[in-house]
Amino acid sequence: MAATDAKVWLQSSDNVSIEVDRAVAERSMLIKNLLDDLGSDTISQSNAIPIQNVNEAVLRKVIEWCDHHRNDPQQNPDDESDARKKTTEIEEWDQKFMQVDQEMLFEIILAANYLDIKPLLDVGCKTVANMIKGKSPEEIRKTFNITNDFTPEEEEQIRRENEWAEDR
Amino acid sequence: MYKSKQNAGRGAGILSALQATSMVDSRASLPAEILVAILDYLPVADQMRFARASRRMQEMVYDDTRWVSRLRAMGCWDELEARKRFEDAIKRRREAAQQAKEQIKTPTGSTANEQAVNPTSPASTTLFDAAAEGHTRKASADEDNRRRRMSELRDGFEATNIGNTVVKDGPASNPDAYLDVFKHSRSIRGGARQEFGKIYGALAPFYFDLVRATSHADPILFKAFRDPERQGRMLANLTRFARSDWAAGCLEREEKLQSMVGIFESAVLREFEQGYEFWDVDGRMKRYAHVLHELNGQGGVDLFIQKHPIFDDAELQFNPVACLSRAIPDEITLEPSRLFFEMLLAKVNDQASVMARIFPQPGKVFWGLLERIKDDIIMEYTTPLFDEAHDRSIAAYLKAVSGVFEQTLLFFQSLTPPPGSGEDVKAKAKELTLRVFEPHLDLYLQEELDFFTKHAEMEVSLWEKKLSEQDSTLESFYMSNINRSADKKDFLSSFKKVVMMPVTALPSIGSPFATASTASTAKQPVPNGATGAAGLTTQLSRPGTPSLSIPMEGRKSPLPDQAPTDELAAKAALMASKLEGIKSLFSIEVALNLVHTAKVSLGRTSVFMTLGGQVGEEAREQCANMFVVLLRILGQRHVKPGFDRAVDHLSHYNPREVSDHNQQGVAPLVTFIELVNVGDLISQMVDVFYEQQLAAPKIADKDDFLDPSGLAKKKFEQMLDESVAAGLNKGIDVLMDEVEYLHGTMQLPTDYNPAPSTAAAATLSGGDAAEKPARDESDMGPTPTAKRIVELVSSHTKMLTGTTDKSMLDVFNGEVGLRLFTAICKHLKRQRISTDGAIKLIADMNLYFDYVRTLRNQDLLAYFRALRELSQIYLIDPEHAKDMASVIADGDRFAGIFRAEEVYEYAQRRADWYHVRKKVERAMYGLECSVM
Repeated sequence: MAATDAKVWLQSSDNVSIEVDRAVAERSMLIKNLLDDLGSDTISQSNAIPIQNVNEAVLRKVIEWCDHHRNDPQQNPDDESDARKKTTEIEEWDQKFMQVDQEMLFEIILAANYLDIKPLLDVGCKTVANMIKGKSPEEIRKTFNITNDFTPEEEEQIRRENEWAEDR
Repeated sequence: MYKSKQNAGRGAGILSALQATSMVDSRASLPAEILVAILDYLPVADQMRFARASRRMQEMVYDDTRWVSRLRAMGCWDELEARKRFEDAIKRRREAAQQAKEQIKTPTGSTANEQAVNPTSPASTTLFDAAAEGHTRKASADEDNRRRRMSELRDGFEATNIGNTVVKDGPASNPDAYLDVFKHSRSIRGGARQEFGKIYGALAPFYFDLVRATSHADPILFKAFRDPERQGRMLANLTRFARSDWAAGCLEREEKLQSMVGIFESAVLREFEQGYEFWDVDGRMKRYAHVLHELNGQGGVDLFIQKHPIFDDAELQFNPVACLSRAIPDEITLEPSRLFFEMLLAKVNDQASVMARIFPQPGKVFWGLLERIKDDIIMEYTTPLFDEAHDRSIAAYLKAVSGVFEQTLLFFQSLTPPPGSGEDVKAKAKELTLRVFEPHLDLYLQEELDFFTKHAEMEVSLWEKKLSEQDSTLESFYMSNINRSADKKDFLSSFKKVVMMPVTALPSIGSPFATASTASTAKQPVPNGATGAAGLTTQLSRPGTPSLSIPMEGRKSPLPDQAPTDELAAKAALMASKLEGIKSLFSIEVALNLVHTAKVSLGRTSVFMTLGGQVGEEAREQCANMFVVLLRILGQRHVKPGFDRAVDHLSHYNPREVSDHNQQGVAPLVTFIELVNVGDLISQMVDVFYEQQLAAPKIADKDDFLDPSGLAKKKFEQMLDESVAAGLNKGIDVLMDEVEYLHGTMQLPTDYNPAPSTAAAATLSGGDAAEKPARDESDMGPTPTAKRIVELVSSHTKMLTGTTDKSMLDVFNGEVGLRLFTAICKHLKRQRISTDGAIKLIADMNLYFDYVRTLRNQDLLAYFRALRELSQIYLIDPEHAKDMASVIADGDRFAGIFRAEEVYEYAQRRADWYHVRKKVERAMYGLECSVM
């Protein structure tokens, strides 16, 4: 077992090498599996792990999150089946952490998805969910950059179909 | 699947895909799986708005699995039902296609006809259906699915529309639509969203209103539904509904709902309790019990059981120690406990009807109450009773446990639970009884075995002690035995017949004894009524055998203390009293006592076997163990030493030391054979015991050759057989010693060789005229020695017939015959036989032959026939030496028993051998002589 202060290096898509504690980096299941398979010996400052889909700014943000959550218990993958387990509220630090512009938020979510950091992905999704809560379809389209391919009649029909769900 | 849903955009599938790709621009967009994850966190209302954003989003939101999982969370999705529905739909579709085909053939068919066939689908789609007939079956099936969904979609709108209007009208107009919303939900593949919509539409307003409410008076739920039954049902519905809510903040919402439910529940409970205090069974209690049932399925049950008056009923305050008798520590009366259980049973059954009136599910309440009764009343009663009994005496403890167990089982089995409880009273009774006795069972089983072992050991050692006290007088006792041997033989014959009885009785126990002779029953002062005393097999009639009418005068026959309880015991008691005269080497009375104790213990333990399962198995094992212990003690401690001692006595027997040889038997052998008889009786007793007590109630499996009790029984029988065999072996030795002794002492040299001189002198002088006729007379029959020997041997072999194994008897007889043969041969070689004496010898041989014939052994017969032939060589006149030689050389004559050399050897025993020798040899080796 590597010592807790062992270091690894991650290289962002714009070729910046970042030094990270191994324990922090291992919040990412992708990196953890990679290190478990390869061993950390080959990783050095000059030979960093390439993280091709993530640029430096996002990667640093992700590492910041990982560093804060470095001592969290590992999530048991079996728990995911229960939908209600996921519904815990976002903790305060995470809420603050997620106070970034929308583009950054999406980048973080994509990075978390790519690096396989489940808790971060969850936090991201929850933040987005909170963001679009109560918004009209038009606002939602704007948020997610979706083109409306419904005719107004079609849209109205869907609305009527789901009238039961309207807040009253 | 999705395709079929958005039927409007179906043709534009490729176009929409193109549109979807084109929307990617410089801004970051999220992949579908992340959008799905985000959707999971959204409340239902937002999801629906999300659906309106674009077709792709609509597909995502409308995905059936999303709604199925919600329905499943509320417990109203039935996969089986869904599948069945789906398959039905396909079938229906096929039939419709078939129908349509026929209609194509007969185009005159009206649409009305079609509608009759498929009334759910509108005529237009039916026409479309018919038009689509030319497609492949699969394609048409897809089509149908689409159509079906469409129609259901429409159904869904209608239902929700109705729901909406109802909400606006206020629930008073149609409250059942809300209350039974879960009942009406169906499981339809592809229709999960609509189903969820119906439920959501009905419950969500109340749900969110309740969550928003600040005080318990606020929610419209309590205003919309006035009576508590409906309020309860609605709250239960909401609780169920809350399970499908997993958007952000759901935990607080659920907490809020729970606290609201809690407030409601405690209010209802209070009402219920007040009703309880006034015992308002059909009024408030019933009403609020139903409300609570609607709310959460139980609630009032706990309270009902908790506060039930039966737990402080003074009438049930029995003193458990009343069962124990103060005077006699070993005794116990179960009457008080029986009263206790009867009283309890009456009260509980009374309560059952009350519960049926109060509760919607009385069975559950009933067993719940019983559970507490078991803990608080029955256990409180039994535990001190058992503890006290255990402290006082083990015997009382054992009786108490077994007895109370039976009563408890009976109590639980005679319960009459309220109708519709759905549980098997028998199984439940077993379970509850088991729980009552679980803490005592291990101790009990152990104690039972220990008790039995101790008791058996004690019995045997007591007997041994008695025996050793008598040991000093044993020598004289045997002597006295000898004197009474005639007497003994007298009862031995009856003994034999009695012993025979169980053998014939075994296959059909109890039946042949109906004809018990009056003489025997009169002789036997056993009260028939006492048979039932131990609660054992009473249906067996008092046995008796005709042989018992043999007079038993002069014999004191004190019967065993306890009354015999079945036919075997009775017979054994009779035997024991008869055998009293022989203070034998082991006692049938002890054996009987042991068997009886074992039977009582087994009877007590076997009641636990009815419990089944692991405990039943343990009890069964313990029963088997008891049997094994019985056989071990009976066999190893009692019977075997007896046999060993008897064999010992036999081997020390020396006929020369015994002065009196006039009686017909060899004393130790007679004793031993009697012992064999007793052993056989014990063995049969064990066998009957095994059949009745172990095999019949399935304690031991007769077919299982590894069964410990079966093995123990076999071992016991084997031990018995071995002992008998060893004893008989020794017995034969002793018998032959006696035969040889008689040969040696009684046979006079003149028997076979009457002095020829005397005969000659008699003829010459005629002086001994008086003596001669006497001798002539004696010449006619066999010698007294031979008579004595035959009598001796036959009396011993006869004693054994019918008592031991037939094959063993054959072997014994064969051995006796063979040894007798060698003894006679040996004897013959010591004699000198004249031609006159040969008559006597032939007579002797005939006697032996006749005796051997009674043994019915063909091999033996050949030996004695040869012996008879052999004796004839002595009769041949010396003048006919040639004939004698031919007889000697004739091997066939002796059937291969004697070779020529042996016969020659016997011929040497002729008194006139030296005279005839030359002639005989010449005749025998005639060829050689003629050459000379």
